[in-house]
Amino acid sequence: MTTSPAPVNADAPPVLRLEARLAAKYRGRIAATHSAPACSAQWRDFPTDFPPQLAQALHERGMERLYSHQRAAWDLARAGRHLVVATPTASGKTLCYNLPVLESVLTRGRKALYLFPTKALAQDQVAELMELSRALSAAGGAGIKAFTFDGDTPGDARKAVRTRGDIVVSNPDMLHQAILPHHTKWAQFFEGLAYVVVDELHSYRGVFGSHVANVFRRLKRICRFYGVEPTFIFASATIANPAELAERLCGEPVEAIQESGAPQGARHLLLWNPPVINPDLGIRASARSQTTRIARMAAKVGLKAIVFARSRLMVEVITKYLKDVFDHDPRRPARVLAYRGGYLPSERRRGEQAMRAGKVNLVVATSALELGVDIGALDVAILNGYPGTVAATMQRLGRAGRRLRPSLGVLVATSDPLDQFLVRHPEMLFGASPEHARIHPDQLLILLEHVRCAAFELPFRDGDAFGGEDLGEMLGYLRDEGVLQHQGDRWYWVADSYPANAVSLRSVAEGNFVVIDTTEGAQTIIAEVDYSSAPGTIYAGAIYMVQSQPYQVERLDWTGRKAFVTRTRADYYTDAIDYTRLKILDRFEGAVLGRGVAANGEVHLVRRYPGYKKIRYYSHDNIGYGNIDLPDQEMHTTSVWWQAEPSALEAALPDRQQAIEGFLGAAYALHHVAALRSMAELHDLGRAVGDGQGTWFAVVGGDGRGQMRGPGNDAMDPAEQDRFEPTLFLYDNYPGGVGLSAPLFDAAGQLVGDARDLVVGCSCAAGCPACVGPVLPGDEERALTPRQAALAVLELLLCREG
Amino acid sequence: MAEQLGAEPIAPGVLLIERRLGARLRHGRVLLKPEVAEGARVPPSLIELAWREPSPDSAPSRLLFLDTETSGLAGGTGTWAFLTGILIGAPDTLILRQYLLTSLDAESAYLDAVGGELSAPATLVSYNGRAFDAPLLTTRFRLCGQPDPLGQLWHLDLLAPVRRAFGRVWPDCRLMSAESKLLGFAREDDLPGSAAPAAWLGWIQRGEMAALGGVLRHNRWDLLSLAGLIPVLGEAFEDPGCHGADTHAVARHHWAQGRLGQALSLLEADSSRLTDTGLMDLADLYRRQDRWADCCAIWQRLASQGSQDALSALAKYHEHKRHDLPLALEYAEALAPSAEREHRCQRLRRKLQG
Repeated sequence: MTTSPAPVNADAPPVLRLEARLAAKYRGRIAATHSAPACSAQWRDFPTDFPPQLAQALHERGMERLYSHQRAAWDLARAGRHLVVATPTASGKTLCYNLPVLESVLTRGRKALYLFPTKALAQDQVAELMELSRALSAAGGAGIKAFTFDGDTPGDARKAVRTRGDIVVSNPDMLHQAILPHHTKWAQFFEGLAYVVVDELHSYRGVFGSHVANVFRRLKRICRFYGVEPTFIFASATIANPAELAERLCGEPVEAIQESGAPQGARHLLLWNPPVINPDLGIRASARSQTTRIARMAAKVGLKAIVFARSRLMVEVITKYLKDVFDHDPRRPARVLAYRGGYLPSERRRGEQAMRAGKVNLVVATSALELGVDIGALDVAILNGYPGTVAATMQRLGRAGRRLRPSLGVLVATSDPLDQFLVRHPEMLFGASPEHARIHPDQLLILLEHVRCAAFELPFRDGDAFGGEDLGEMLGYLRDEGVLQHQGDRWYWVADSYPANAVSLRSVAEGNFVVIDTTEGAQTIIAEVDYSSAPGTIYAGAIYMVQSQPYQVERLDWTGRKAFVTRTRADYYTDAIDYTRLKILDRFEGAVLGRGVAANGEVHLVRRYPGYKKIRYYSHDNIGYGNIDLPDQEMHTTSVWWQAEPSALEAALPDRQQAIEGFLGAAYALHHVAALRSMAELHDLGRAVGDGQGTWFAVVGGDGRGQMRGPGNDAMDPAEQDRFEPTLFLYDNYPGGVGLSAPLFDAAGQLVGDARDLVVGCSCAAGCPACVGPVLPGDEERALTPRQAALAVLELLLCREG
Repeated sequence: MAEQLGAEPIAPGVLLIERRLGARLRHGRVLLKPEVAEGARVPPSLIELAWREPSPDSAPSRLLFLDTETSGLAGGTGTWAFLTGILIGAPDTLILRQYLLTSLDAESAYLDAVGGELSAPATLVSYNGRAFDAPLLTTRFRLCGQPDPLGQLWHLDLLAPVRRAFGRVWPDCRLMSAESKLLGFAREDDLPGSAAPAAWLGWIQRGEMAALGGVLRHNRWDLLSLAGLIPVLGEAFEDPGCHGADTHAVARHHWAQGRLGQALSLLEADSSRLTDTGLMDLADLYRRQDRWADCCAIWQRLASQGSQDALSALAKYHEHKRHDLPLALEYAEALAPSAEREHRCQRLRRKLQG
């Protein structure tokens, strides 16, 4: 896979010169390179049924023909077929849906609903439509009216949007909470509805996607009520199964267009592995240090670069390091900008404008920028760590090189097993088989919430269907709960409530936290933090960063959902410690595997944040601990788990302390291969080791050794326990589960095999972050290394054929 | 059930309670006569605040007082308007009709009956009905696939004039507050409107009808108060003092409608109690009638208390009207530092030198 770079002369494009410099200076760190040559455009003529003013308006913008995929989309849409366009970033996907929609508005007076996953994207789209509308008016035709409809739309403007909008641009949350429950106010709009456009399809995965599939079931019911059957047009970044995902979302067959006719500049990709700095422990230099170095080199030769980090914290840390280099003079405009979720919309808009205006050299972002927010052209994309999926990797890399210029992508591997696995198997990435995006719309909790909302919107009739489960049974349940009444052949809503307000599409938890700056007596809201990340980020004592300005959390008002912070000059950041306890509630199925069993079922999970570490900048020394005093976070979810036969375990690992460490190491390896195989992101799955009854659980303690802890987090001695049945859990990290554990159970044997291969194939001596997790100095001299202990556990659980 | 509620079943699941109120019904301190439902008697100020689609120019026709009780306050298509009360005039009497939905599958027949009452030409009179009752009924008609009769009617929502005349002087503008302050009507043993959803759902879900009588009575009182408020609100717009209305706000309404003389005489009569902005408005009205002496008297009084608007008005008056530049400069210099002050002073100094 590795090829030596072609010699580059002085007048080559700066991107190629940067690549050549990196290759010359750091040859040993480049694990693999890949390049995709530039490709030329595939053109098609305007269709014969193209409205003349549309052709004229496109002509004004310098367009005489369409790309092949735009023409294909037109032909399918005009034939009334649902379709999904899954072509690379910046291939002109927007026109694929705008053209048929404009035709229906201009020639037939029909209407369209556009849905984007975020408000920012919706506003971008309306700006684009306004421009097209002006071109249409200039071409002598009528313009079109496109309005955003979101939480910011003022009350007195809403009626105009409902009655006068040709195209209403909104998001699934508004459709769910404001439009469908008030559909009669939108009667005129629904009666004319011809198209439903869903962009950023790939973001409708997991819990969110499962909710949205149900919102679409509700939408289609309402459309039937008004006698329309709109055509769905989806647009997606590259994923393996765009048509399947679209079909799951809209419940009908969908045609896929995956061949892009747009031209593309040459793309170069480097897979970068930081150098090993401690061969005994298998410790590599941090990805962060490599990422900032590459970003600095890019900025110094005048290239515009984007750095993607995997966490908000890492965005702030990298931003600080880059600002220390480039923005030390406060009188000059900032050249480095952080962009992540949690900033206030106004701050993000300012950032987007600065990026588009080309004022910023370096953007440091989380996945918040993965979506199609327009930030203008960039030359280099640097990924600090593998984002977890091939699709997300391609989407982030696609941020560079929007204007046919050559572009460079650098994926900097961390010491995570997944990253190290990829470095050793670059074909996983370059072979371009991106993941399947999965949703589980019939997950019972989610489905029931939407049956409730749908029953509010229109009474169900006997014999109706909604989703894949037995609707009658669910309606009966809601009747017993007192919200429905069955009369004649109908199920009527009879409760004094508005059910959509109680259902959030984004999570199952309630209420964002606001971060309030109280420096010098002020009361300014500076950020929002979602419920699930609050306990780990804004506990009292935490350092919370906004644009790399550190704030210290003085007080967290848990019930009021507020964190009060003051500006600080602390030279450290904080990292929360959490641990998780699980109790098995119900076992759905089980299977004997080797000398153990694997099972799948429902668990009760308690997560606690006992404290946090203070970590100094640059040295990354741990300089202290603090306590966190917060209520436990609890949820019910599904999990797959493994247990070894007690006698076999005792024979293999007589020392129970070693058995615990073996299970922790095996869990570490299994977690990573499971994430890879289930095509989930690492945080979609959780891992834990305990006894399954909630009586004890195991953690890696402050001394780096596995420890057995009781329910109150008190240390326990494994040798003193009567029963010793360690259980390894991989759980679905969403309340109720989103269907991740059942496929893991089906592949349980294979997963153990993969995990064993990962550990056996690792080049470290005693264990390392790339296989069983970090180990301690001197571990390689122990009689049984952590790596051997983990292998012993995996061998027990391994199903051997014959 | 019909018997207990004094009702007549008009279709399966739909009850009608009808009362003829006679020629002289006392409601609090007011007498409700049948004429109260005549469109021609609606005071002009109220008409000006009414919603007049789709025929903005025609005169208000017969009045149709409307009030609904609902299964919830959140709105949306899952909220039922289970009771629709209507009060209309007939020769020699007022007729109060209440349509009650007692079975969920009878809504179509229920709306047929309600729709029959809402025939044009008529002017709906409600309290907060523009935002609540009317859209909810429209929703129910659409859900049942029936044409929506409400779009064809005038709608006079009395919340608007009450807010205009009393919004700044009362702690709240609920109908209960208005009827007690303006009509002297106190409800005894009222079932609060917020208890209506539970009362009806108790019947639908468990067959309990004990609380329904209370809902009907609450709805009747709402309708009678609506009728009683029309003449009293008319008085409040003619003579705000007599009902403790906000003279300044009422005068502004007349002014906006082009009745400057009426606005002026209201403000003048109440000048001792006006706020500074009220006095500035009064001065402005004097100015428009060239009553400069009255006008300056107000400005000077306010200027002596430091009013910037008054100082600025005096500076303009002396500069442009009296051409007394030194005096104009004196007033301008008394202004607090601002861009306007600088601009004005500079211009006056230039003129004085030139």
